[in-house]
Order: sequence, then C-alpha cells, then structure tokens
Amino acid sequence: MPASPSDDDLKQELDAAAKKAGLTIPAERFEVILASYKEQKRMVALLRQPRTAAAEPSNIYSLVAQRQGS
Amino acid sequence: MAETKSPHALSIAEAGARLRAGTLTSTGLTGAALDRIGAFDGALDAFITLTPERAMADAAAADADFKAGIDKGPFQGIPYGLKDIYDTAGIRTTCHSRLRVDNVPPADSVVAARLKDGGGVLLGKLGTHEFAIGGPSFDLPFPPARNPWNRDHIPGGSSSGSGAAVAAGFCRMAMGSDTGGSIRGPGAYCGIVGLKPTYGLVSRRGVFPLSYTLDHCGPLARSVEDCALTMQVIAGHDPLDPASAKVDVPDFSRGLGWGVHGLKIAVPRHFYVKAEGVSAESVAAIDSAAETLARLGATVEEITLPDYDLFNACGRIILSSEAYAIHEQDFQTRPLDYARMTHARIIMGAFISAADLTQAFRLRRELATALNAGVLSRFDAVITASSLAPAPPFADYRDGWPTAWPMQTMAFNVTGNPAMSVPTGFSKAGLPLSMQIVGRPFDEPTVLRIGAALERALGLLDTWPALEGSAAAQAAAS
Repeated sequence: MPASPSDDDLKQELDAAAKKAGLTIPAERFEVILASYKEQKRMVALLRQPRTAAAEPSNIYSLVAQRQGS
Repeated sequence: MAETKSPHALSIAEAGARLRAGTLTSTGLTGAALDRIGAFDGALDAFITLTPERAMADAAAADADFKAGIDKGPFQGIPYGLKDIYDTAGIRTTCHSRLRVDNVPPADSVVAARLKDGGGVLLGKLGTHEFAIGGPSFDLPFPPARNPWNRDHIPGGSSSGSGAAVAAGFCRMAMGSDTGGSIRGPGAYCGIVGLKPTYGLVSRRGVFPLSYTLDHCGPLARSVEDCALTMQVIAGHDPLDPASAKVDVPDFSRGLGWGVHGLKIAVPRHFYVKAEGVSAESVAAIDSAAETLARLGATVEEITLPDYDLFNACGRIILSSEAYAIHEQDFQTRPLDYARMTHARIIMGAFISAADLTQAFRLRRELATALNAGVLSRFDAVITASSLAPAPPFADYRDGWPTAWPMQTMAFNVTGNPAMSVPTGFSKAGLPLSMQIVGRPFDEPTVLRIGAALERALGLLDTWPALEGSAAAQAAAS
C-alpha cells in the first residue's frame, strides 16, 4: 500500500490539478478545498474493489428488471 | 372536531372534500395561506418569489371549475410551492444564485405543468441551497431558509425552502429535488414527509440539473397521504426526458389503510448505529419505530448490506463529476459569482479522473444488485436512518460544508430505489427525528403503505411548530 502523501504534497497536487483544469483557487478558499480534496481521495480509493474485467458499469442495469429482484 | 381545523391544518384530501362539497373555496384557502406566509415567512425566508396574483388567479379558476362541475383531480384548488430550480413560464427561476438571478423561463417544467393542469394553485418559488448543492449560505442574493422548529437551525437541504414552507403550514406540499438526499434531508430536519420516487418515475425536464444520473424530483408534504396524492398528479412517462421510465402509474393511495400485517421489513442497523455523528436519540427513535411496525404485524429482521461508506463514496464521485461538467464553463469564467460553499463543493468534480468515474459506475451496479437481488428479493422494504442526528445549527456551517455529513440518504440515489423520510418523534431539544423507508423499484405504494401505518401509530400529525415564537425572535433581531 502506498504511503499517504504529506499535506505539502497534497497542496502541490491540488494546485497542479486546478491548473490542469484551468481553474484558480482563491487563497482564502484553499484550505477548505484542500480538506475536501483529502476526503475525496479517500472516497476514490474506496471505489477500487476487487472485480473482474467483466464487471460492467451501471449504465446497463435496468430498474425495471431489478424490480423483480434480478 | 374536524370542522374546527385551521385551513393550514387541513390535509389535501380534507381540503379537497370541502372544496367539492362547497363548504370551502380555493380563494379562501389560498388567501389563508398567503396570510400565514405574510405573518411568518419574514422569520423563516422559505420563499424567494411569492406569486400572490398568480395564486389568486389559479384559485379563482379552480373555484369556477368546481362550480361548473369540472374535476381535474386531487390538486384542484390546492396551494403548493416549487423549489426555485423548477422552471415556471414567466416567473423567475433563480436556483438561489447570483448567476441566474434574472432568469425568467419561457416554459414550465413538466412537473409545474402537471400541477397547473391538475388545477393546483402556485403560491411561489422556494429557497434552495444554491444550484441544489451549495449550503445554508449568507453570501447570496437571498437569505437561507430557516427551520420552523428552531430558526437558529438549518431546515436541511438542498430543498430548504420547501421543507420550511411545509413544516410551517404555508402549504401542504412543495416540490423538491433529491440528488443525494435533498428531499429526504429537509423532510427529516423539518418533521415532515419527503419522498424520493424511483429514478425515472417523475420527469426532470425543466428542472435545473445537478447530476443527471442521480437527480430525482419528488414531493415534501405534511403527511404520507399528501405525498401519495401528489404522486398521482406528477408521476408518468415523459418521452422527452431521457431517463423517464415507461411504466404504469399505480394508484399510490391504494394501500394507505392496509396496515403492515404480513410485510417483511429489513433493517441494516450497521449502516447507522456506529456512524460518525449519530445521535442516541435518532437510533432510539428508529428502534422504537421498528418495534412499532413489528407490533402492527410486520416481520422486522436485521440484515447486512455493503458498508454505507461505499454507497456514499460511489454517489459523491458521480455527483461531483456530473455537477462539475454542468458548471465547468461558469467555473472557468466567473467562479466568484458562486457562494463560497457552492464553489468549494462543485470544484471537487474537476479533480476526478475518467477511471475514477468508471469505477464509481461499476460499483454502482454492484451496490444496486446487493440491495435489490440481495435484500429486496426477500423483503418488501428496508428501513434505516435518513439523518443521523437532528438539524444542526447554522453556526456549524460558518467555516464551510462539514466533511462528515450526518445523512444516510445517498445510498438510494445510487441504487435509484424509492425512499421516503418520515418523522419518528422529537429530540429532547424539540427538533424532529426521522427514519427512511426504502422499497423495490417502482413500488412506491408499499413504501407509502408502511409510512402511513407508522404515521397513524405515532400520531404526530397534529404537532406543529410554534411560529409565533419565530416571528417574535425575528422582530427582536430586527
């Protein structure tokens, strides 16, 4: 498991990501956004569950079919 | 004793019966609603735009129809409100935002049109968290709505004005939208009923989007029956909404009086008992409600679902990605026109990769299958927490949106199942407590049936917030 990035690394990462997206984060908003960025990275890691290549995404599930519990 | 009820305390069905019997007029009912709004909304800020002329014209038309023997259904002559992200022809629709403060749509949203065609009376447009995602912000052109049970507390969001208006008795029903809990949250915090229907059952056309694959339109109402009657008007296939489902519209009220005898209800207690920020009072109220349902004849059984954290992560990544895609251009050109809280929330979508989003969609399918094939193939419904604690004070939002959001509603935006928040009682501090009832896709009648049985058993419908106190507080503050 990779080591958790330091706060300084995260700040640089967020800065770079904002630049890539063409965004400027106002200085007075940076700390709040950094806290959310940290939380988002935690959530993104949760998405990676063990699954095979055959596990297709949700745009093929049908609520009408799921109504029957299938 | 029903004859002594104030107009605001009449259910939609009770008001409808009196309108049809000629013992009440819609103009009288609407005038009383406008008077109540005039007396108390200064302390609650539920409405952004009040439409009294339109309301009285709608009411007069409804009265004329009643006299002519024309019956357009359960909403004829009934006052209602719309969250200010629902387009209304000729009436500004601001999304509670500086960016759309002068926006006047040329046409009604589908839901607004259906309520109008059904003879409803539009009182006005209700406050929201900015673009249905921001927060209780004070740096916007309009103040945030306040909780009628205690105006120092938030009413929940994002359908904040809708929750406040219904709880205050300004109208029996107000439309909200729900992308991660924005109907059920205000329902929970305001002590009313909030129904997020199955994804695709109610058209989203003409409602400003937040997240295309998670957005749902639905009612906040004083009672389960009011919700059912609203659904009868607004549900149905819309060929121009790409997500609209082609399914039969059921009779939503059919099971309201059936009770719960013989139903099998699952409780994923692990979702909420040890969650961060959960209150003992909220858990005790859900446990007590489960015991009540069991006493009424349901089989209630504890079950296990995937961790709530997985549902939440899945929904948050999808929501942030889709919301940012919608707002990308404005974010690059006029980011400071958004409230601080809105800006801090929407910007997160800029930092999500295509692979992250695809993983979220893969997980979404797994979670939907775990709920539907894993649990709802054996049970009629699931009950769980909607909010983990009573409504927090505005002061908790001074520094922005809290990282841990004490709500467990996102799971059913991810799966698309119908989910309804219902009141379960009050905290020691006098704030509403709640729980959530979740059903199979398109099985709203069972969700409503369980909600109605619990509502009857708990007997909370005649408890109203003391608005006179709110008005006094507002007068003192000013």
